[in-house]
Amino acid sequence: MEQGHLVEKLSLQAQSFQEGFKILTKSDTFEQLMKNFWHLLRANFIITNIHLLHQESVNSPWKSMVPKSKTDDADLPLLVHQDQQSVINYDNNKYNAVIVFPLTDSSYLGILFGDKLDNTKFTDYDKITLQILMQVFSSAYGSFLNQKKEKKLIFELNEKIMQLNNLIDAGIEISRFDKFDFLFEIALEKVASLTNASSALININDMGSSIEEKQIIFPDRTPADKILNSSFRIESSFNFNKKTYHFILSEKETRKGATHFNELDKLLLQAITRQVQTAIENDYLLKQSLEKERIEKELLLAATIQQNIIPKELPKIEGYELAGINIPSREVGGDYYDCMDLGKGIYAFIIADVTGKGISAALLVNTLNAALYSYKEFNLPLSELTEKLNKLIFNATPADKFITFFIAVLDTKTGRLDVVNAGHNPVLLIRKEGDLEKIEASGLGLGMLDLGLPYQEQNLTFDAGDRLFLYTDGIPEAMNKNEEEYSDERMFEFFKKNSGQQAAEFIKAMVHDIKGHVGGEPQSDDITCLILKRV
Amino acid sequence: MSEEFTLQTEKVGDSLVIKTGGYINNVAGEKISQVFSDNSNTDVKNAVFDLENSKVINSIGISYLLEVIELLSGKNGKIIFLNLDPSIEKTFKIMGLFQFSQTADSLDSALKVLT
Repeated sequence: MEQGHLVEKLSLQAQSFQEGFKILTKSDTFEQLMKNFWHLLRANFIITNIHLLHQESVNSPWKSMVPKSKTDDADLPLLVHQDQQSVINYDNNKYNAVIVFPLTDSSYLGILFGDKLDNTKFTDYDKITLQILMQVFSSAYGSFLNQKKEKKLIFELNEKIMQLNNLIDAGIEISRFDKFDFLFEIALEKVASLTNASSALININDMGSSIEEKQIIFPDRTPADKILNSSFRIESSFNFNKKTYHFILSEKETRKGATHFNELDKLLLQAITRQVQTAIENDYLLKQSLEKERIEKELLLAATIQQNIIPKELPKIEGYELAGINIPSREVGGDYYDCMDLGKGIYAFIIADVTGKGISAALLVNTLNAALYSYKEFNLPLSELTEKLNKLIFNATPADKFITFFIAVLDTKTGRLDVVNAGHNPVLLIRKEGDLEKIEASGLGLGMLDLGLPYQEQNLTFDAGDRLFLYTDGIPEAMNKNEEEYSDERMFEFFKKNSGQQAAEFIKAMVHDIKGHVGGEPQSDDITCLILKRV
Repeated sequence: MSEEFTLQTEKVGDSLVIKTGGYINNVAGEKISQVFSDNSNTDVKNAVFDLENSKVINSIGISYLLEVIELLSGKNGKIIFLNLDPSIEKTFKIMGLFQFSQTADSLDSALKVLT
């Protein structure tokens, strides 16, 4: 072909090369780029049999791109490399031309040209056209890589924004009390999504124990062993309230398979772990605060019940002095005392102590009080009354609840004093002459057992100058900061020395003495006592 | 809360309705991608993704969805998402998926947009 004619023909085709370049640069995928280039080559050389192959690096296998069908393995050795140089072999036996063309990312484009439709060989003009087309492809491929790189950068930037945003959202969601029951599931979903983990797991066990108490897995059908034995794994843990919470992420996903997690992933896992820890701590503190509030309400109610039962004023009995006191502790106990006017100058003096504290103890005192007032009209012998009370309390309470109970019935005219002590502390009786008698228990506390065992009634006389002192164990067991009790001995001694005072003065002095012993220590139990003196 | 990934497809004209279940990650993304490279779906121009049963997605899963969006955009097709969990919707917004796709309230309204 003449030089002038060749130039003229090439210039006429310049526009078609430019259009070809435009088509190539519009390709969204590499496959599309190859296909478009394949069409361009076919149009320019009137050849139907063209194979485009791609090789990711010099040592990688060739991959058939267009057509998709696998190229004959016997033809692959024809694709020869030469130090990043483009290699074009014309006039091969089987192919019109064989090209190995290095691309900018160190990959290679391989082209096998079959026969032209007119069965002619490549002309000089064809060879120049081919060189130009290869440059067009190279430029389009460079443009394609740049677009891909740009897309990748935008994706990575958006991904970082998404991670930051999701981390904030995860913190909000994890800290929501209404979702606390799903706390671990939410945490695993969030952290797996943030780090591209294939799966995640939380083991919860008692500190120091390897046996898991609870295991949560995401996605939930993933076998735990797969996560625990993964080579691509990161972990984070914390201890709280004697439990260990152990987080494991397995296999960071990429488009090319699983890989190791990076430093950012470790930070994200730690951040989520800390958020879970905070949520658990907050939940614990909230529950504690609610429980405290509940107990305080219960104690207030118990105190109200108890205070309504204990007499605000004791009856005035001619020829006798009577005084009593109940100082409830912070934890309301079940102490009770009363004086009932049974008519005809007969009075009953009662003191009792329910096991336990709080509302249940206060309610049991209430039951006892109600029963006593119910039986009041029947004038039952004390032993029979106590048996009936025992049966009633036994049936109304669990096995660990009972009442120590003392009742004394005094005929103020004759001085006859009948008593029953059902498991209560000894009641003290000082005679006018100063002799101290202890009225010991003659039966078990009310409600302990229902064996029909009789309560022994004692019959005494209460003469002028005699003093009877009823108390609960809150007095001898009152403790100072050295954990020393006020003690029975000190109480007996105080009673002996001071019970000659007026009844009300004696009670005040005793309370003063107890508080002097206890100092500033909080009162651990109710202080309850009652003194009766015959003038 | 999550299960193994599941995929259900239904072809309606030149649109493909895809209902997913579970974590949309690399494995799930590959499955979604395969649906579009399947020979029986070469004529598919539009896609409706119902993600009602998928509450979690990672960025690998998103990259596959972006590829589907590019593929169908190249065919002048449309992509519509249904029943997106609020956290996934927010993620899609940040990742720019809604530049080339939209949401619909129901399958019927999605198919109306596509026909």
